[in-house]
Amino acid sequence: MAAEQKQKVTQKKLAPHVYQALEDVVGKRWISEKRSLVETYSKLSIEGMTFVRKHRKDDTAVPACVVLPGTTGEVQSIVKVCNRYSVPFIPFTNGQVFSATTNDQPTLIIHLSRMNSIINIDTDNMVATLQAYVDYAQLQAEAMKHGLWNGGTPLATTVCKLSSQFSFAGLWQTDLKYGLLNRNLVSVKMVLPDGKILTVGSRCLPKAGDFWEYGPGPDLLGMQRGGAGSNGIVTEITVKLHPWAGDTTLPEVPHGRPSLEDVHEPKYDSPPPPANHRLHWIEFKDFSSQIKTMRDISHSGIAIGLNATGVYSAYYCSQTQEMTWERCKNKFFPDYNCYVIIAGITSAKQIDYEEKVLQKIVERNGGTFLTADHKPEVLEALKPWNLDCIRHTCGFRMNRKMYANAWLPTGPFEVGRQTQEFWSDALNAFGECDITDRGGADDTPFLYALQRGRFSFAEVDNYPDPTNPEEIQKAAGYGIYGMARLVKEKVCPCLMAFLSVEPFTTMFPEVGPNQHTLFQKIRRVFDPKGVNAPGRQVYTREEWENVPPMLKQWVNKMREMVGLESVQ
Amino acid sequence: MSLKKDLTNLLGSNAVFDDEETLRHYSRDQSFVPQCMPDAVAFPESVEQIQAIVAYANQTAVPLVPYSSGLNMHGGTVPKEGGVILNMSRMNRIIEVDQDNWFAVVEPGVTIRQLQNALEEKGLRAMLPLGTPPARSALTSCVERDPALASASFEYGNDLLMDTEIVLPDGELFKTGLWSAGGRPGSHMGPVRSMLYRFWTAAQGTLGILTKACIKVEHLPGMMEIRAFRFNSFNESLAALIDIQRREIGLECFLLNKLNLAALYCDDWHVPEEFPASPVASQDFSTLLDALPCWTLFVCLHGAPELPEEKIAYQAETLDEIAGHHGLNSVPLNGKQELLQHELLRPWGVLKKYNFKGAVHDLSFKAPLKRIPEFQHIIARVAEKYAYPIEEIGGYILPVERGRGAHCEFDFHAGPDGAAGHERIHALWREAGELLVDEGAFFDRPYGDWADMMYSRTGEYTAKLRELKIELDPNNILNPGHLCF
Repeated sequence: MAAEQKQKVTQKKLAPHVYQALEDVVGKRWISEKRSLVETYSKLSIEGMTFVRKHRKDDTAVPACVVLPGTTGEVQSIVKVCNRYSVPFIPFTNGQVFSATTNDQPTLIIHLSRMNSIINIDTDNMVATLQAYVDYAQLQAEAMKHGLWNGGTPLATTVCKLSSQFSFAGLWQTDLKYGLLNRNLVSVKMVLPDGKILTVGSRCLPKAGDFWEYGPGPDLLGMQRGGAGSNGIVTEITVKLHPWAGDTTLPEVPHGRPSLEDVHEPKYDSPPPPANHRLHWIEFKDFSSQIKTMRDISHSGIAIGLNATGVYSAYYCSQTQEMTWERCKNKFFPDYNCYVIIAGITSAKQIDYEEKVLQKIVERNGGTFLTADHKPEVLEALKPWNLDCIRHTCGFRMNRKMYANAWLPTGPFEVGRQTQEFWSDALNAFGECDITDRGGADDTPFLYALQRGRFSFAEVDNYPDPTNPEEIQKAAGYGIYGMARLVKEKVCPCLMAFLSVEPFTTMFPEVGPNQHTLFQKIRRVFDPKGVNAPGRQVYTREEWENVPPMLKQWVNKMREMVGLESVQ
Repeated sequence: MSLKKDLTNLLGSNAVFDDEETLRHYSRDQSFVPQCMPDAVAFPESVEQIQAIVAYANQTAVPLVPYSSGLNMHGGTVPKEGGVILNMSRMNRIIEVDQDNWFAVVEPGVTIRQLQNALEEKGLRAMLPLGTPPARSALTSCVERDPALASASFEYGNDLLMDTEIVLPDGELFKTGLWSAGGRPGSHMGPVRSMLYRFWTAAQGTLGILTKACIKVEHLPGMMEIRAFRFNSFNESLAALIDIQRREIGLECFLLNKLNLAALYCDDWHVPEEFPASPVASQDFSTLLDALPCWTLFVCLHGAPELPEEKIAYQAETLDEIAGHHGLNSVPLNGKQELLQHELLRPWGVLKKYNFKGAVHDLSFKAPLKRIPEFQHIIARVAEKYAYPIEEIGGYILPVERGRGAHCEFDFHAGPDGAAGHERIHALWREAGELLVDEGAFFDRPYGDWADMMYSRTGEYTAKLRELKIELDPNNILNPGHLCF
């Protein structure tokens, strides 16, 4: 690493006439190629590979220029300029994942932060139309005024933008009832990589309105989501809303709001649940009874959310990192637990009924509720979830160090058990970066019940120090090993956040099988010039040949480790 | 070599037919889609045979028309350019019913009756659409986005398709969902974020041949209670309907107008085996038509697996509250509860409507609830122009996802092709369709003439579909001429 540290990083620049053409679109104020500014876009918050590139002083990580359009029309003009001069571009919102440069060409970042308005909340048809930079908190606050809500917020943070989650994630704490964001999409308006505008769903027919998500005929919405942001730029998104049983605003914490001096006092982290909502915590003697109970609850039809939180509680509910470590060390939270969110949408009697059913199921399976009589101190410590189960505000605590990897295998609840086994193997092979890495090995992994428990997501993560290249390198091992191991075991490796996810289909052609060849065909249709985040979703043959040998070596090493043949 | 010989070489004997009578059977259905003779009918029995036929079609440019039950009723499997009907009815295994995770894996030849019977034995049920023949393919019904009766429920009625297995137009076998990782099924989500499976929905077999699918199933309720309310117009029901949906009461919730309800209740009629059917005169039907209200709203309360009576009780209490608030008129269902409960699980009794005149030509589209009266007005206006009696228009309205929109079906009844007045009904149906599309009625499953109406108005969407079709099916072998291809 020492020789690399002396290496000078030189920022690549756009040709002056390209810069001028872009400036003509947005004006001087909204374009910049200043090093101090563009550097911001070279390190993403949870994509480990961008940290590796930074530590390696890889100059391809630094974009050439950033531009901030204010309208769909401006996005369209920018994309046309990029097409004309073959400039790769990357759409950018929060910069968590999928926003890094993808090749060694001078790259333009199209930052969508000026497009941050809620265009419409249609209370009749229960949909909301948003510009690209609108976040979950904004949407929830507005929708709740109308007795509606979008059904949840992502665990990471409420400031995630729905438009970027369209391209990638959208996992919520209320997935049991409402599914992921992908189940809650109505339409998008996109600037395609060639500068044309595509709308999908009923809004593509004049006068039809924006209420229906499919067609006409074969559905393009799912394919666009599959593009991982490389089949165009979402400038407007319409999402479903649902009846909201709570008040028009979420309740305040009884102790008021903290000052900078006492911000870490737990009393500020004790919100009550929203009106007409209840949160119940249950602990179990082992993983089997937890899984059995979660399946029974899912099948009973009660509740809007059901999740096992695992090590996340140590982050979400601890006001300092020291508390997080202490609680992990001392096993403060029960090893096997889950929470259940109950809402009275039909009437207050719905809550009574659902609590009665819950009681029955928990008793039957030998679970124990956390109450004033049973572990009251744990129940008290878990209070941040009263708000976070509806609107996440504590997710940022996961990033105190770095929330580097996310293994998120999908499948029936039993996938949690497989995740536990494979993650334990990874810990044995690579060693831990942080004590919290052990979450999911010694206790329950995070387990999200989806769509009435038909399937679930398990989650385990690494928490390396981002300033420590060795720890980052170690975490990278987990990321690639995880992919290889899950593919080998035929378990679905949905969302692996160390690598940019989709191109892995080239490295793991077992998936699909040959999913990458289908993606290549689709890419040819949407991005014939290969300018929109080229290689983000799938590599062309040429791009694959130019992938850094280091990455290929890592992948093949891990493939070999789990007994898969190398890819070339 | 002849086509039949080539196909026989691929499939073996007794799997390929090209006699005139067989070809004629496949050349049309009960819709207005013009008759067109295929050149052969082939019955594959395995994925490998399908792949072999697709390879053959690509070499010889012979069109293939994927066909499961042929009960699409809208011309989806009527050839446009001849070719080979790929009849999948011999692939009719229910491969698995997973009682822990509530899904079923079916081949394309599995019928909805077969599936429902098998599931009921295990205490489960499939969510099925109203008015679909019992012999319709369960897989195709799901893939073609037939709206399930439980669509009012966001959780239970929609998005029923999970994993899919498909032979792509180039012959490659491809899987989505958990299957794409090579393991067990059980989720529409796979190792990549893509929801590619949605691309083959409502595609009428133009983009691939589904060889199996994993479908969500639900708990079979041990207890149900159906409530009904009468209205003089759909508009009159609207405020109460919206309140009922916003409070998430009931699983199934739908409205039938008196023609459809009279057909369902009619004791003289049976569900036809063939479509179009032979008309059957019925005094019972006429009496019912006179007695029934213009529209009836049905709300179906289901007991859950745990404490079913208590679940029904709290929902019924809120329903009563809403009914009182809106001054709704309840319809006593004495003697009809059982019939209606049966219809929820085997929803083909309403097909008795084919006994009225023989053929039914519906206008099926999606619309926001509040716009439905406007669309009804258009239909009534065109019917009047063509002197079609308003009282002979069938009506079915199904709120979707708690009233985010609605599936609407308005039927014109006609004699079979060649019968007197057939052309007039065709002209009426077409003109009403055009005017509806002009005003924004969204025909999301554009069969037959609706395809041109929709795709000529949806610009870039249409263009991208065509480009994708060319990229994926460069020889245009799969059901050419349908949709915008």
